[in-house]
Formats: sequence, structure tokens, C-alpha cells
Amino acid sequence: MFLLPICILCGTITYAAEHAQVPLPKPEQLKYHPIHFALPRAERVLLDNGIILYVFEDSELPLLNISAVIRTGSNYDPVGKEGLAEISGVVMRTGGTEALSGNAVDEALDFFAGSLYISMNRDYGSISLSILKRDLDEGLNIFSQIITKPAFEENKLKLATDLKIEELRRIADDPKKLAFREFTRVLFGNNPAGRFPSPSSFNNIKRDDLIEFHRRFFFPENIMISVTGDISKEEAIAKIKQYLGSWNVSKNNYVIPPVPAKQKGHIYFLSKDIPQSIVICANFAPGKKETDAYPFEVLNFILGSGGFKSRIFQEIRNSRGLAYSTGSFYTKRSEYGVFGAYAIAESDSTAKVLSLLRSIVEDARMKSIDKKELEWATKSIINNFIFSFQSADQIAHQQLLIEYDKLPLDYLATYRAKIGRVQPEDLKRVAMKYLSPDETVTFILGNEEVYNQVITSVGNISRIEDRR
Amino acid sequence: MHIFASVLLIISMPSLGFPYEMGSRVLSYTLKNRLKILMVERHLSPTVSFYIRHRVGAVDEVDGRTGTAHLLEHMLFKGTRTIGAKNYHEEEKILKLIARTGKELDLEKMKGENASKSRVQTLSERMEILEKQHKKLFVENEIDRLYVENGGDNVNASTGQDLTTYNVSLPSNKIELWARIEADRMTEPVFREFYSERNVVMEERKMRIESEPNGQLYEQFLATAFIAHPYRRPILGWPSDMRFLSLEYTEVFFKRYHAPNNTVIAVVGDIDPAKTLAIIKKYFGAIPSRHIELSPITEEPPQKGERRTDIVSDANPQMIIGYHKPALPHFDDYVFDVIECILSKGRTSRFHRVLVTEKALAESVHAVNGVPGAKYDNLFAIFAKPRHPYTNATIEQAIYQEIEKLKIEPVTKRELQKAKNQINADFIRSLNSNIELANVLSYFEAITGSYQYITDHVKVIDQVTSEDIMRVVKKYLTPDNRTVVKLVSKN
Repeated sequence: MFLLPICILCGTITYAAEHAQVPLPKPEQLKYHPIHFALPRAERVLLDNGIILYVFEDSELPLLNISAVIRTGSNYDPVGKEGLAEISGVVMRTGGTEALSGNAVDEALDFFAGSLYISMNRDYGSISLSILKRDLDEGLNIFSQIITKPAFEENKLKLATDLKIEELRRIADDPKKLAFREFTRVLFGNNPAGRFPSPSSFNNIKRDDLIEFHRRFFFPENIMISVTGDISKEEAIAKIKQYLGSWNVSKNNYVIPPVPAKQKGHIYFLSKDIPQSIVICANFAPGKKETDAYPFEVLNFILGSGGFKSRIFQEIRNSRGLAYSTGSFYTKRSEYGVFGAYAIAESDSTAKVLSLLRSIVEDARMKSIDKKELEWATKSIINNFIFSFQSADQIAHQQLLIEYDKLPLDYLATYRAKIGRVQPEDLKRVAMKYLSPDETVTFILGNEEVYNQVITSVGNISRIEDRR
Repeated sequence: MHIFASVLLIISMPSLGFPYEMGSRVLSYTLKNRLKILMVERHLSPTVSFYIRHRVGAVDEVDGRTGTAHLLEHMLFKGTRTIGAKNYHEEEKILKLIARTGKELDLEKMKGENASKSRVQTLSERMEILEKQHKKLFVENEIDRLYVENGGDNVNASTGQDLTTYNVSLPSNKIELWARIEADRMTEPVFREFYSERNVVMEERKMRIESEPNGQLYEQFLATAFIAHPYRRPILGWPSDMRFLSLEYTEVFFKRYHAPNNTVIAVVGDIDPAKTLAIIKKYFGAIPSRHIELSPITEEPPQKGERRTDIVSDANPQMIIGYHKPALPHFDDYVFDVIECILSKGRTSRFHRVLVTEKALAESVHAVNGVPGAKYDNLFAIFAKPRHPYTNATIEQAIYQEIEKLKIEPVTKRELQKAKNQINADFIRSLNSNIELANVLSYFEAITGSYQYITDHVKVIDQVTSEDIMRVVKKYLTPDNRTVVKLVSKN
């Protein structure tokens, strides 16, 4: 925050059009001065009670972001109580603390326009607070109480349960949400990552379960916090110590969920009366910790996530106009990843689109990718690297998650060089290793005509039911 | 004006408790060809975000050709005479043949059942051959490749009712690349792959509307609330218009509305303003301004009675209620910004607290000010989803009860201050990003004629009283001014 005593050039100035039309230079011939990019680093501090703290100061605006990441998530939900992590997160936010009722927490946060969100993902939970600098103490007070002493008010649990069940009811209205859930189920099979809540699993969850969830996962050694914005390192440490430093509940052991096993390749079909099909062809892929993750990243870029020039986009959307939304994704957890080639395609062309997706992936296994295409991909990835350092919060959070995932400390510092060393033979090798059609799980959401189309052209497919 | 699109660059906010100055950081220039440029320096990250806004949108289309503005946006990614061209001189000839054949094919197909099957077949085969020949003469998607290879982030574009936008973020040493590409595609784009892209936008429509109950409901809602003004029409276009969008007309549309005097540029990030301005002048300075013939926009006549429509669907019930209201900079638009907060921002807002938490009737109820555009008189809309087993009818009445309360009892001081605090905090948050700043600066400059609209915004918001709120609710949120569109089940 600063005050500028002089208004610099805030008027309107008119310039003459001073150039006659000159031939434009070729874009490839433009020269750029190099950017000297020193990796910004948040500072790491270990508190006495085991909390790991990351701090990054940025005083441009009178804002603060405080984030807690907890090792937990929906993959830890007990069988029959799927949705426990999710609903615990909701009721921690809405159900009050020992000192403040849920309504009082809501009123306080709304009045000073602080926003506090809790989200439970598959393998981590996060609590994030955004406040204006002047409301730091009030915000941290609520934040720390929610983490250490949530009250889980019974009426707020009931409300959360009812709303979650309503949400489940509405998933089938949205083809993309429905496809994502059912695809995830068939991909992961019996692994926790493939389990989803149902009305009965939500109804099985009682207040005691939430208390137990909190006891199991919420202790200092299991939490990492980042504090960024208009605050010095010293003040950030002092404040976190003030509000969370004397939190000393006992450590717990819990079992980390197992890594999913590869499935046998198969095609699954779910019927829905829509004018398009959602087609996803997925394989397990390297996790963040594995050295194969780097060539696989490049491979994914070339296949379908490198924008308009990527192969899937060019073939399915650009050349043939068969889909608007198409490409590939590669989501990485620490220990494993998932690669998917997908298209939301014209119903009549579903079989063709499926065939194209498969042949594009197969080409990457069988034929060498030429140097030019590889260079385009590696250059793009390397040049885009700086975009993960655009804000204080992004910088600190990224570093925090690197430690959370137990990646090496030099992960960011060495990332670009490792991408730069990828060769065409690496691409072929990882394509051969991870993208075997025998292990490809294909999911199609489409109408009955699509079913007939696909079964005629491909044969062996299994229908699944929408298990709500 | 919808809060989401608004940003505040404030000189000072005495009643909000702390001084904050940002306005003087915005540098504003107008070239002789009347291209407007706004710049802000931010050096945390060696990146720059660029927003180009053209003052043309779906409202400028003629009936029968809806979807042109959006398809044009797609076309402007296909390259120019010097980007993506292998031999433009040869290519131009084939493009003319493609245009002629495409037009003949469309004219034949438009005959519907009376179309000659053999002629359609002949022309289609000819198109296929021409397109194959054409493919050898250009490189596909060069604009995207250039951006992405050079580290481009968020390479995107969007078509609204009022404006069309092209945006990208790049490493800060690549400003000249952006200028080189954008000045070129603003003047000499080549409309390659028109007919296959026409298919792509049909798939986009299927994805966003025909497969999505939310999308269908929203489209029907606008078409019911507006009976005359172009805001009644979907930006993607009506399906039958989209099937036969004309290459010729798209080119005419492009030429009619793309000129530097009809364009605003915002550049935010790690820049040296003097050098950046020099680059912009080098590439954009020579583009001549052009007289822009304003499209005749039919004014919406005042609504004189409630409008109601149902859509029968398998999906779960939901509804949209809308009320006509004036556009910014009318004072009442500011009051609606405050009303939007009071009704649905945060867990303690009226709709959330009463309808979702206490009465437990609704899954969600959101109020939105300024739908579907900001330039012309628009709507204050309420989106609601009842909770099973409650119905649309139940939630509709409950919503009206909350509205009636606002007509009878003034909002409390605390509630009013809460809304002002929220608007203020959201503004400050949105300043924390190059892309958000560029987005908002360019948006308000293009819509209102001056980014300083937002400099004043919070000052005006601060003046809104509880009497203003009561007056505005009484005046606009009335049954006769209301449109109600519901998704209902077959049974």
C-alpha cells in the first residue's frame, strides 16, 4: 500500500499516427531480451508444536491470505461413510466453535468481509482465509478456533447433510459432472479414490463421526500453514504462534490409502438422452515423484493439452469439426497420475471420435515424435513456468504443496532443465509403458443411438447404471 | 452492473476506514487514430496481461444472423495474411472458390426438403476437394502456437452482448509479439476453415445449452424477459441461424466494427510504460480509424405485466426471476449492487439465511445485478433451486416474501455497512492480479467511456442509504415488471 503524492500521467494524451504502413516483421524473427528470473521463495519456519509455516510478504495491497493444508481427504473415508471428510469440512465452517456459534462466525466473517473456505479433496484438506489487513486478529481468531475447537452443531450437520443429498440428486442433470463421477468409479474400481458418497452414506454419518474425524487428522504435526500478503515475516510468525502456538493435542497415526491398481482395459457405457457424447480414454500415469513424470508431461502436452496445436485438438476439432471441447489431461498425485484423452463430441460421430482418440495415442507409442514438435512442447512448458509465481499466495502455496507431496527441495529449481532434457525416445518409451490399450479404461456417456453405433464398431462394451 | 465485473480503483475511502490510492497508477493514452490504451505497472512477477476489447457484440447482429459475432471471434484465431500463410497469393484464389462453393451449397440446403440431393452431393464433394487443396497452403493455428510456444497463459477470447474480447498473458519480454499478432489480426485476418468452425460452434451450443438444463433455462429466460431488445437473443445464436451463418456477412461484420477508434487496450504487469507505448504505437499507430456506423438497437418497451414460461425437462426443478432496471451509470444501478449483496452475498444474506438455512426450502438462491449485459437497460435476476421435496412454487413465494420485507422495513445500519464492506473488500481482492486488473479496466473503459467510472464507484456506493434501497425495491421489484421462467418435470 502506498500513497503517490503526484498524479503521474493520469491525463489523456493524444499522439499522431506517425508511421506509414511498414511491412510487418515475421513473428519468428522478433528478438527478445532475456528475463532474469530468480525463483521467489517463501520462508519456511517450524513451530515448536510441529506446525510448518510458510511466509511471503507482499505489501502492494492491504490484504492477507492464510491457508492451512491438512493431510486428510475423502480417500480416507470409511466404507459405508463416504462423504465424511466432505461433510466434516462443511460443518467445521458452518457449525460454530466452542466460543462462537455457527451463526456468530457467519455474522463476523460477513461483516468484515473475510472469506473462509474449507475444501476436502481426495488426498488433502484445505482451510483458507482471505481478509483485509485491519481485520487480521479477528480473522485469525476465528480461523484458529475452527481448526482447534470446532463445535459441530447438530442442526448444522443436518442442514449440510440435506444439502449434500440435494447436490447428489442434481448431479445427473449435468452431463459433465455425471460423466466425471462415473468415469472415476470405473477407473479406480474398489480403491478409495473410486468411492463416492450416496444419500445412505451421508445418512450414516453422525456427529460423533465428525468429532472423531477431527480428532484423527487435526493435530499440529499434520498441518502446514502459509501466510502471505501485507505482513512481515516476524509478525506472521508471531501471530501464528499467538493463535495456534499453544495448540498441543496428541499426534495420531492413520493409514495412508493404498495406491490404485491398474485396471484391465475395457469400455464402459452409461446412457443419457443428450445430443452429444462424452468420451474419455484413460490410463494410469507417472506420479509427481517419478522421473517419468517429466517426459510424460511433454507427451501429454503434444497429445492434447498444448492448446490448438496439440494433436487431439487439431484432428478432432480443427480439421473435422467433430467437437468443441476436446484434448487430454494429466493429473498427478504424489504416487501416481491419471492421463485421459477426451472429447465432448457430436453424437453421430462418437465411434469415429473414439477411433481417432485411440489412433492418436497409438501413434505416440508406435511412431517417433519429431524433434520440431518436441521442441515446440518443451519450449512452451519452459516459457510458461513463470506463471506459477504470479502472486504471493500462489508462490507460498506451491512451495508448501511441494513439501506436502514430499518432493525434493530443488523440485522447482530443476523443473525446467529436466523438461528441457526430454528426448523423442523418452516420449516413445513412456507412451509404450503407460498407454497400452490393454490397460485403457474407456468411458462413454451418450444416448441409445450412440450405444448402437459404438457396439457395432467396437464390440465388447459394458453398460453401467447410474448408481446414485 | 454486476459486482463480479467491477473493480475499484479508489482515490480514498474515508468512511471505509483506511486510505488506499490506486487511481494515479493507471496511465491512460489515446493515439491519434483514437485507440485507447490503459497501462498499470506491477512488478511482482515478470509477466504481463493484455486485454483487447472491441465495442461490438451480439447486440450488433441482425435477426437471422445471430451467432455471427461469436463465430467471428473463432475466425480471428485462424491467422492472417502473414501469420499462418504459406503463399497468400495462391491461397486467396482458393479461398474465393471455397466462399463461392460454400455459398451455393448453403443456398441449396436452405431449400430444406426441396433441396436437390444430387446438387448438394456435387457441391459437398467439390468443397471437400477445395478444402484439401487449401490445407496445403496454410499452417493451422499459428496464432495459438506463437502464443503458447512463447509461454502464453490464458490465451482466450470471449463474445458478450456488448463487447468482444481477446486476452492473453505473456512473459514480460514478449510484448512485441503480442503487438505484432494483435495489430495484424485486427486489420488483415484470413477466415480459414470457416465451414468446419461453423460445426465447432454448433457443438459448443450443444454442450452449453442443449445438454445443459441451466443453459436452456437461461436462454428461455432472456428470450421471455426481453421481447424487442437484442438482449433477448443468445450470444451463441439460434440453431437455424447458426447452421447457415454466412462467410460473406461475417467478413462484412468484421470490417464494420473493427477499428482502433472502436477498441480499448489494457496492459498490466511488469512493463516499462514508455517502451510499451512505443511498441503499441509502432504496430497499431498506422491503422486508420474508421467511421463506425452504429447499429440500430431496438429499445425494449416497458413491461406492463408479468411474463411466465415453463420448460418441461427431466432435470430437477429450478427457476429464474428477473426484473427490468436501468443500466449504469444510473444511480439506481448502484443501489442494485448493494441490494444484490444484502440479498445473497454470504451466509448471512437474506436469501441464504432465511431460504437455505432457516426455512430450509432451497438448495441455493442467488441474486445477480446486470444480466445479460451492462451497456443497455438490463435485468436484476434471481436464480433459485428448491430443495426436494419443495417445489418451484414454494420457493417463488418465499422469495417474494423476502422482497416484500425490503419494501416495508428499512435494512439495518449494520446490514447496509456489511454490504458496503463486502463490495469494498471484493474490489481490493480483484486488484491482486494482472489479469483481473486488465480485465476490469478495459471493461469499464469500453462500456462507459472512462475507466474512472470505477474510481468513483465506491464513493457512490458509500452514499447509498436504506431509503434508497426501499425506494428502488418498491419501484422495480414489482409483479408487473417481473419475468418468471421455470424448469418443470414432465409429470
